[in-house]
Amino acid sequence: MSPLAIIFLIIGIPALIGLAYIFVRGSAGLRRYILTRIGLLIPMVFILASLVFFVMRVLPGDPVRSSLGPKGSAETVARMREQLGLDDPLIVQYGNFLVDIVTLDFGNSLTGGRRPIVDEMSERFPATLELVIPAAAFALAIGIIGGTLAAARRKRPLDYALRLYSVAIYSIPVFWLGLMGQLVFGVRLGWTPIAGRIDPVIGTTLERTTNILWLDAIISGNWPALWSSLSHLVLPVVTLGLILSGVFLRLTRVNVIETLQMDYIGAARARGIRERIVIGGHALKNAIIPVITLLGLQVAILLAGAVLTETVFSWPGMGQYLVQRISSRDYTAVQSVITMFAMLVALISLAVDIIYSLVDPRVRY
Amino acid sequence: MKRWISVVAVLVLVLAACTGGTTEDTTATTAGDTTVPETTEGDTTSTTAAETPDTTGAPAGEADGTIIIGTTDTIASLDPADAYAIHDWELLKNINEGLLRWTPGELELTTGLATDMPEVSEDGLVYTLTMREGVQFSDGTELTAEVYAEQLNRLLTIGPDCPNGVANALATPFLESVEAVDSSTIQFTLSRPVAYFPQLLATAAYLPAHPDTFPAEECVTFPEAPVHGTGPWYITEYTQGEQTVLEPNPNYNGELTPQVDRIIIRYFSDPQTMALAVQNGDIDIAWRILGPELVGELEGAEGLSVGAIDGGSIRYLILNYAIEPMDDINVRKAVAAAIDRDEIVDVVYGGQVEPLYSMVPPGFIGETQAFDDMYQSPDLDAARAFLAESGYDENNPVELELWYPPEHYGASTADWMQLIEQQLEATGVIDVTLQPQEWSTYVTALTGGEAYAGGVLGWFFDFPDSSNYLEPFVFNGGLGTMVTSPEGEPINDQAAQLVDLLNEASVELDEDARAGLYEEIQELYADLVVTLPILFEVEHVVPRDGVSGSDQFASPETLNIGPNLEFYYSVLSEN
Repeated sequence: MSPLAIIFLIIGIPALIGLAYIFVRGSAGLRRYILTRIGLLIPMVFILASLVFFVMRVLPGDPVRSSLGPKGSAETVARMREQLGLDDPLIVQYGNFLVDIVTLDFGNSLTGGRRPIVDEMSERFPATLELVIPAAAFALAIGIIGGTLAAARRKRPLDYALRLYSVAIYSIPVFWLGLMGQLVFGVRLGWTPIAGRIDPVIGTTLERTTNILWLDAIISGNWPALWSSLSHLVLPVVTLGLILSGVFLRLTRVNVIETLQMDYIGAARARGIRERIVIGGHALKNAIIPVITLLGLQVAILLAGAVLTETVFSWPGMGQYLVQRISSRDYTAVQSVITMFAMLVALISLAVDIIYSLVDPRVRY
Repeated sequence: MKRWISVVAVLVLVLAACTGGTTEDTTATTAGDTTVPETTEGDTTSTTAAETPDTTGAPAGEADGTIIIGTTDTIASLDPADAYAIHDWELLKNINEGLLRWTPGELELTTGLATDMPEVSEDGLVYTLTMREGVQFSDGTELTAEVYAEQLNRLLTIGPDCPNGVANALATPFLESVEAVDSSTIQFTLSRPVAYFPQLLATAAYLPAHPDTFPAEECVTFPEAPVHGTGPWYITEYTQGEQTVLEPNPNYNGELTPQVDRIIIRYFSDPQTMALAVQNGDIDIAWRILGPELVGELEGAEGLSVGAIDGGSIRYLILNYAIEPMDDINVRKAVAAAIDRDEIVDVVYGGQVEPLYSMVPPGFIGETQAFDDMYQSPDLDAARAFLAESGYDENNPVELELWYPPEHYGASTADWMQLIEQQLEATGVIDVTLQPQEWSTYVTALTGGEAYAGGVLGWFFDFPDSSNYLEPFVFNGGLGTMVTSPEGEPINDQAAQLVDLLNEASVELDEDARAGLYEEIQELYADLVVTLPILFEVEHVVPRDGVSGSDQFASPETLNIGPNLEFYYSVLSEN
């Protein structure tokens, strides 16, 4: 079984069970909402995939010429175009593409050895997950803690400092931040490795099952590999997470400030409840709901940030793959990756909406 | 709250239990020692170079004889009948040995699997070679002449349909058939005499492929590891974009015996990251492609040495004979006279590349400085004089469109094209318009010869021979020079003379006579300004202290990588 299939099983089965539970136990409105969202998912992915398909073909460039360069003779180019089906009418190519999407086969890439795209994703997607999930968690943690502190110390130096941080960090290009991290923590201080997913030597000892290396290390009990993979995660995760943390921080701050002005907070304070508990226990619970919604929306930005982060840290994930294949005009690879990203974003925002309704019982669909 | 504190405390304890031992060892290995970790549960004694970055100069993989080489290249194919990229060839030539190969560090052919250099028939059409005894693949499979011939015939049968098309360039135009005369003798029959056939035999296309991994009927670009070969190494595992691991072939009986236990090729997507990695000790060697700016930074870094190899790719201008105003020989000569290569080298590249005055780079057979001898550029007066002959002057300047791909050859291309624009316009008689274009559109239009009057291209040889730097720009449209038609018809008498000379040189077996012919060809080539050579990029290899090449071969300071850029991992050792 490929790592991609294993990951889908690990994530998909609990998600499906959860969905089924919510579907059965939830309100009729929620059931209708879930069905509508799933129904909308199909045309959304279809429209996006079609758009990418046609835009890729309108753009200047040709995958065969791009990969052969000046050394490819006209005959070679013609033969390869025929082999790859690039001479077929556009409508035929489009039909083949739609069939590939429906069957989740995605076909073969046009460049780089013409491997099945599913195989290539299977190698790359776990690496991106390994990076993006902890980065999102890190961004959320920094954002919620920082935002709450800023709200609690409103209009004091800490508040100003955190607000300044949130604007500054969001303005910094991710590649610059990554490079600075490599120079300072990698080269100067020697605290972290600067690139890659695992130490090359230790990597040879690791049996890969899911291709999420720290998970594989735990599964196989390879503790040096666990340490190595976690230490390699630090810089890219912190870089990507920091960039996104500013948005969460600002949103949390605003929501906590608004919540602190509610009557029930005043009542809690009047009862003599300690301020720390008022903020952390009462205000934050309500203030965090819009932050969860934002997390769903930020997934797309997170994936876009991962493209640059993966390049800076030579992290062999989907982002790096996408950049390489766009430059070589590999139509099928680009279409497939973007379609997969679209499905991922849509599913995560659906999950977030469902979680939203569970966190806030007032929400009705 | 107490409940949460308890949960956090338990998690911290679990984490500490998981990582505690390793942390201790981390402090003990700050010199960068790297041992092969046992996968036995509970073992926490193994450490990594990466977790304790080495800044003391010791090799990253010292403890177990592992050398880690960084590159920004990628694997495109590991099938000898298909592979047509520098890094693929490097891997293939390390895991396979062919009949002939290059002496490390030099442009000198030597025997590989063959016992002697080829025996050539009088008509130059039949090459016979005898293989040494007892050649085995790394898995123990015997390589006989019959197996070898079968694999090479695969190059002729399925090779042309493989994705990267190496057979169309290096086999089918010359090779008619391959036969095994007996179990150790192999015979090649050519369709026409080819003086550089021995050089072709030393390319990766003519390597023996394992018959079980690479079946006769299909191209296998990414075979499952282990990938066995007849060379000093074999690939134990590889992961796209991450790393390739090579270990010594236990059955290898040739000269290039490995000096270390393992080679790991680590892939980087960004040269800047690779430069930091070699500084940090994460890798032992930074190899292709660093770029001139990064090389300048690394030259002063402690614990590193920078080796420069005069053997990189060249950059040149295609000047299209069939499109105005380049169809005018005086315009082409004026351009040749006006360009100042030294200024490009100094201003754009800070002296990290070399000016090129012939399409044939230094070190190759018959190499001359034909363009320098003929035009002594920059000579603006000469440029104006050439243009005056065609009726151009300050009031009637020639308008020139020059095209370039802004990304494909790096950002510096735009810089030096702007410099060329300034240099040409300094004549006062040339008005240049620069036109950037996306690579695949660009290369199609330029090499098709129907759209652009002039543009920049790069070239890297398929086999290190002067013919490979001249023929492609003359024969069959000449990649957009149109000095001949796509069908091969020369555009004028001088072009016909050039074609004849190239054909003569390609069948001349006497090296001195051949060198003389190439000297004559380059002079005529410069006079016609078929293309305009501009510069060649010096390749750089950056090893950390403690990693070295072999004193038995030339250029140990560049890890015995010579102008042909052949990198034999077997020469590497750790001190």
